[in-house]
Amino acid sequence: MLALDIRNLNKEYPNFQLKDVSFQLEKGYIMGFIGANGAGKTTTIKSIMNMIQTDGGVVRVLGKNMAEHEIELKQEIGCAFGGVDFYNRSKIKTLTDVIKRFYKHWDEAAYSGYLSRFKLDENKKVAELSTGMKVKYTLALALSHGAKLLILDEPTSGLDPVARDDLLDLFQELVAGGEISILFSTHITSDLEKCADFITFIADGQIINSAEKEEFKESYRLLSGDESQLSQVRERMISYKVNSFGFTGLIRSEDFDPSSGIKAATPSLEEIMIYFAKKEPAYV
Amino acid sequence: MYNLVMKDLKLGIQPMFFVFPILLGMLMLIPSWIYFLVPMYFFWISVPNMFGNFKTQNDLMFTSMMPVTKKDIVKARVSVIVILEILHIGFAVIFGLVHDLVYSNLNITYYFFAPSMGFWGLCMAMLAIFNIILIPMYYKTAYKFSGALFSATSAAMIFAGIVQWLGIQIKSVSDIFNVTIADHIAIHASVLIAGIVIFAAFTLIAYRIAVKRFLKVELL
Repeated sequence: MLALDIRNLNKEYPNFQLKDVSFQLEKGYIMGFIGANGAGKTTTIKSIMNMIQTDGGVVRVLGKNMAEHEIELKQEIGCAFGGVDFYNRSKIKTLTDVIKRFYKHWDEAAYSGYLSRFKLDENKKVAELSTGMKVKYTLALALSHGAKLLILDEPTSGLDPVARDDLLDLFQELVAGGEISILFSTHITSDLEKCADFITFIADGQIINSAEKEEFKESYRLLSGDESQLSQVRERMISYKVNSFGFTGLIRSEDFDPSSGIKAATPSLEEIMIYFAKKEPAYV
Repeated sequence: MYNLVMKDLKLGIQPMFFVFPILLGMLMLIPSWIYFLVPMYFFWISVPNMFGNFKTQNDLMFTSMMPVTKKDIVKARVSVIVILEILHIGFAVIFGLVHDLVYSNLNITYYFFAPSMGFWGLCMAMLAIFNIILIPMYYKTAYKFSGALFSATSAAMIFAGIVQWLGIQIKSVSDIFNVTIADHIAIHASVLIAGIVIFAAFTLIAYRIAVKRFLKVELL
């Protein structure tokens, strides 16, 4: 079953456009949604949440159309936007008392469990929490109302390596039961190397690729060689950098002939992002 | 909708704004004052502070992540505004009655409107004008409120100014509102009922326009 099914999402702004954004997330998995700043990650997430009006496309969550079942589906979604604070001078207790009224399946015992597990003090104000603790508080809320799909916009941004690692372990633990699915956007690709099952890559408002993580990486090759070798593949490369030793660049696996003698390696997610970012001006 | 109203009452609005109707209502105890000013403190103090707080606390984003419809978001906010307006008018009426009791033997001469049923009807009409401008203008963006508040407050003050000026200039009106109140209860009751009807109708229209506009607002 698909936890999230996005088909042909379009949204036009004066200086930016989401173009035919489509991807699917299977239930019980973690999908990393990567892209440079301004690539369209948050716009896509806000379109999923019906916070902006799209020009076209369909979003289905847990098999139901989001536009038709928004209220019902929001009961099943836990959403968090990194870096945004709400009522941060209020105590956690006060905020939770307000929020829990909105959810039919609020589980007070589960909430208390998450609070103690995350070492969250209910009497603290939101502003007193560290960035990592704020994310954990959001997760505690989402998990206590029985969210089956967590949509997290840059949850790990601003966290120290220890807090990030801790959070990523938690994500993996959550999906282990097969009921919860997570879509999280980030530009910190090392987080995804650690815990994502699937990768969806967006650049300039378009989905470049959406696939299982290893398959995603294997679909590209990172080439390096001298300038004479560059001339063999230049036209087919996504982008490349030339230095005094020769060149390094990214190419789609299907465009690369392994018998050409050019040194090829599997790129990291970061390298894929960087070389695509270099390509962007060509089709903007 | 109820949960959204509770959210505003518990989180969005500081308790001070629920005490203000009582404190400001006490201004009714000033003898022969311009009593139109009493409900106006709501426009001048409560609304800008409340709306400013909603904006700084990212209330719109917070609310839109909850399982609620955009229509209910508007309905709840309009309800909260109406609750506060009724509290302001309600306490002003109560202190108006106290005023009448305290000063019954003093034979006060009123230059401006005295607190009477008819006067409260005019106040309701003033709030109706405030609402029909503020609410639809605010929901063009659901966060910018300066222009809406300035226009709504100006319109309400102009209305009050004109009505008060007529009340001073026209002898018969002045007499009905300030001297022979007890002899013209029917007129006063009619003005009060008309004021309440206008308030209800204008607020309902404001809500409907606001919903239409808010449905098009992008929550960025």
